[in-house]
Amino acid sequence: MLKLTPNLRLLSKHDATNFTKFESVRFRRRKPISLGTAKSKLFKIPPRPSQSEEEKLELQRLHNNYRTQMKSLRYYFIVNHSAEFAEASEDPEESRRVFEEDLKRCTSINEKWNEKQREIREKAISKQQENDIIAALEKVELEKKKIKEMKENIEEIVRKEKEQSKTFITAENIDAAIEQALANPVDYNFALISSGEKILGRDNIPGRDKNKASMNQ
Amino acid sequence: MPYKYIGRTTDFKGKSLWEIVGNLKNFGVGRMVVRSRFERYPEKSYMKILKVETLPNPEKPSIDDMRFVKVWVESTFRGKTFPEPIVIERTSYKTDFRLIPKDEEQEYCKSPVFDCTKIVPKTMEFPPLLKELLIRNAKAKGNSLEEEIKLEIFYNKQSLNTSYKIAKDGEKPTVEIVSGLGKPVSPRLYEGLK
Repeated sequence: MLKLTPNLRLLSKHDATNFTKFESVRFRRRKPISLGTAKSKLFKIPPRPSQSEEEKLELQRLHNNYRTQMKSLRYYFIVNHSAEFAEASEDPEESRRVFEEDLKRCTSINEKWNEKQREIREKAISKQQENDIIAALEKVELEKKKIKEMKENIEEIVRKEKEQSKTFITAENIDAAIEQALANPVDYNFALISSGEKILGRDNIPGRDKNKASMNQ
Repeated sequence: MPYKYIGRTTDFKGKSLWEIVGNLKNFGVGRMVVRSRFERYPEKSYMKILKVETLPNPEKPSIDDMRFVKVWVESTFRGKTFPEPIVIERTSYKTDFRLIPKDEEQEYCKSPVFDCTKIVPKTMEFPPLLKELLIRNAKAKGNSLEEEIKLEIFYNKQSLNTSYKIAKDGEKPTVEIVSGLGKPVSPRLYEGLK
């Protein structure tokens, strides 16, 4: 989407005829003020903006000229507009009737335009709604799929656990397991020698059976 | 040793209102203070103190909170006195107030004499398209345009008393008002433009 200024964006690329197609952008790509001044900028004193006197006078002159002209034009239109109705008739009732007729005409033009805009707006809204519904349905489908996958994963975990549970030590076979453990002590300690060779066991002496773990733990 | 100020500069000049009224007898009721920000206008702006109320100390007093005071004033802004008294409370902390000594009050209040040497034109050119339209309309109605149509300039009524006057018939205006760039104040600014 076209971003015109930091806080204004154009909604439709093809229709920029009026300002109803603009949207103000509420986020800004800046640090929030609540973060405070950066440490490195804490003692920085920005120079005061300065404007030369002649530049100031020149801009003031241009600005004043512009405002005076606009004010005069506005005043001219007001005076002439009311003069039209005053000229229409001597009778104030008649003038009023002419004025109201003109107002009616203007209102009808305005209403016509509003009607046109309403149609465009409603069309856009209904389209947006359809898109929203489609997007929502898609989201629901995605969510369902996600839940299904999750359930499958859980089932898989449970199945594996069940399989493993056959080898668990229970109250029935605890004595046999203890016997087994005492009969086969294992020492995981080892030492490395400079050639990178592994000497297993805490009390192992090099030259003996290397792969046999020490019995003395 | 002279003071050496560091940090950002400010446009304010003077003291906060409490610094002034807190040092005066009866909190300075009847005395005159001015905001230095308002001294840039040719017409005079000043305030006469009518009533002063101190404010309770804030819960967590800091150097900025302790400067507030509530003051009722009869305010004159750009030569016009407000009919009702004005309460200064939220702006009382601004270090922009100045006390006028009693013997200078009368002199300060005197409104300056404005010399309306600036003569502004009575009419100006219409914008080109509008002018063309007006000529066509007039011709369609059968009106003859003997003299060129001009837009009558609408001026601010208040400024007419103080700053400038409208040119009468035959009088030559000292300033020109045109819809284009016009005559620049200093042509130097437009040098090198194509």
